[in-house]
Amino acid sequence: MTTFGVAARWLHLAASLGLVGLVAASLLVGHRDRPTVLAWEARMLRWARTLAGLVLATGLATLAHQSAVVTGRAGAALEVGEWVRLLGHSQFGTVWLVRHGLLLLLAALLLLREREDSAADRLALRVEAGLLAGVGLAAAAWAGHAAAVEGVGLPAALLDALHLLAAGAWLGALPPLAALLRTSARAEGADARPFAVRAVRGFSRLALTVMVVLVATGLANTWFQVGSVPALVGTSYGWLLLAKVALLLPILLLAQHNRRRLLPRLGSDGDTVGRPAMARLGRFVIAEAGLGLLIVLLTTGLSLSPPAVHDPVWWPFSERYAWDVAAALPGGPTRVLIGAQLTFLGVLALIVGLLLRSWRVILVGAGSLAVIAGLWIALPPMTVDAYPTTFRRSSVPYHVVSVASGAALFRTHCATCHGAGGRGDGPGGAGLPRPPADLTAPHTAQHTAGDMFWWLTHGIPAGGMPPFGAVLAEEERWDLINFIRTLAAGDQARQMTALVPPGRPWLVAPDLSIVVGPAPPRSLKDLRDRWMVLLVVFTLPESRTRLRQLAEAYNTLQALGTEVVAVPQGDGSDIIRRLGARPPILYPVITDGAADIATTYALLGRGLGPASLSPRGAPPLHVEFLVDRQGYIRARWLPGSPGPGWDTSQTLVEQIQLIDKETPAGPAPDEHVH
Amino acid sequence: MRLWRVVVLINLALGLGFVLGYLAWGRETARLADELERARRQQAVAGVERTWQARGVVRAVLPELNVVVLTHEDLVGYMGSMTMGFRVHDPKLYEGLDIGDRVRFTLTGVAPNVEITALAKEAP
Repeated sequence: MTTFGVAARWLHLAASLGLVGLVAASLLVGHRDRPTVLAWEARMLRWARTLAGLVLATGLATLAHQSAVVTGRAGAALEVGEWVRLLGHSQFGTVWLVRHGLLLLLAALLLLREREDSAADRLALRVEAGLLAGVGLAAAAWAGHAAAVEGVGLPAALLDALHLLAAGAWLGALPPLAALLRTSARAEGADARPFAVRAVRGFSRLALTVMVVLVATGLANTWFQVGSVPALVGTSYGWLLLAKVALLLPILLLAQHNRRRLLPRLGSDGDTVGRPAMARLGRFVIAEAGLGLLIVLLTTGLSLSPPAVHDPVWWPFSERYAWDVAAALPGGPTRVLIGAQLTFLGVLALIVGLLLRSWRVILVGAGSLAVIAGLWIALPPMTVDAYPTTFRRSSVPYHVVSVASGAALFRTHCATCHGAGGRGDGPGGAGLPRPPADLTAPHTAQHTAGDMFWWLTHGIPAGGMPPFGAVLAEEERWDLINFIRTLAAGDQARQMTALVPPGRPWLVAPDLSIVVGPAPPRSLKDLRDRWMVLLVVFTLPESRTRLRQLAEAYNTLQALGTEVVAVPQGDGSDIIRRLGARPPILYPVITDGAADIATTYALLGRGLGPASLSPRGAPPLHVEFLVDRQGYIRARWLPGSPGPGWDTSQTLVEQIQLIDKETPAGPAPDEHVH
Repeated sequence: MRLWRVVVLINLALGLGFVLGYLAWGRETARLADELERARRQQAVAGVERTWQARGVVRAVLPELNVVVLTHEDLVGYMGSMTMGFRVHDPKLYEGLDIGDRVRFTLTGVAPNVEITALAKEAP
């Protein structure tokens, strides 16, 4: 079924491009009253009819294939009812109807056997056919990946349409020109030769412009659909795209050869030079068109693959280069900057050397040397080990449910070696070749979440870490990574105080569900952009006084744009009754799922005292977090810690106003990677 | 027939197709606007007495105001889920009611002038 779909789409796209190219070629040659040119024109009209029939037939096949894909049943490919549903209720259907309406009109125009009596007739036919074929081709952009780009769907689709039209004018015009060249190269085709030469020269000039347009719009498409180097080298979409570019290179070399060597020779009349060159050019143009057909096949593959930006990346190399890694090394940034400058100068010298004639050898030699030296200086400090999953993003959101489940898994599977507190001090780690990692150490840019996923899945054989790929499901492994992320962040958060510090926010608040009785749950994320949140993790009866104080301050806090969310430690099902009636406590108090929130936020609630050094220690009885509108924890109050506290409500109000006044940084990332 | 006449005919067909498409689009837009209007009218409660049934949890009982404060589910066509006090039709309804009780209640009236007309504890 997939083969059928690919074949149908390939032929459809190739024929659509061919129709546009036929019109372009016909306009390039112009009308000539020479028998050979007239014969060529008649032949091109037959080609156009065949292509129009092919476009319509393969279009129908595409519709059938899409029906099968959408319904998930192969049988639906032949059910007219499903076709009608698809046509009436999808973007694919609307675009299909518009395009095939236009192509049907084009077929009708081509099939009418009217005589072309005047120049007006001929021009009318070509302009009309070009318009129908062009719009019929370009509209396909609205049924592809480009139109689905978020936010800029229209510009992306317009660029893609331009890409299609340029491809049509170039690839599609190759076969007609080859046909003209080959007829003219025959002995009896002499009458058409001057016009063939003019047409090919015109095409050569046009092709240069078209190539610039193709590359520019292709780069824009790549930006939208791939977006990063890992996605380019680590997804099937990226590979298809690279193959497409690789196929473009021989075409460009062939075109350069034709332009430099064969085109100048065409002008000479002699049967010894001009005619063989023309025949040769005709063959080369056919070869170009054949490679073009392969490019169209790859394009079909691209249109059927998920865009690289949405596909998990499988990094094929054992190393990667990252600026952050160099930035963490002493002297690293300087080395990278010097190396980069040298490389840049080298590339500049190479380009100038290739353009100039006189200094070529020296410039190219020096440029190559500079590039090699520059890379040799810049790359080592940026190099870091990488694994196939290095650029994988978590499939499990950073949510307290995941962190709490990760905490339980950690106790079962990891604590023996890494220690209950994750410091790498577990009893099982003593005899290992390398001591287990201290997971609370501040993580540098050297490890992505994807790296950890790889180690969890496949183990670290040299260090004695066993693989867990067969023991833990993929979600469980991400739960563990979410837990470790919270654990490490909590260690850094130990010095957080009740005062909002200047500088960039960094501590992402794990998401949580606010469930109060039967009311529908809201998540912390739902409150983003609108509310700051004072998250209060409490224990009864110790927190009773503070909760009453907050109840009285609730109106003020709400007026300042701050929602209060209270989370009981332990079972919350009966918590509202236990809080008592006087004064009425009206802020949300979590009744379901409080345990996960308390477990997770206890990791972020450790103070500086020796008792709270390890996450094993007893969780704080009461801790409050101030979360800004972007989802970052900005300040934290542990009652009894030194310094000002939020029990003086003036202090809390000042922190809220401080956050209110600043220009917000971007929203907290969902898959934050250290 | 001269070729340019054929082209003119084809362009006429093209124009016709465009007009038909435009009309179909207009009809679709009108239908959606109609649906939206009907949905809005259902929401508008001006002058019509209605009832809402929902579940909630008791946050406070204020007998001096004859008000029960509930964190409640969405009241469809009136308000979303929130914590809010409602007047109670008959003080007997909140006799024996405790903070934290989960209840099922009926709200009756012309919004926003509504009161609780029925209230029953749910099994915990």
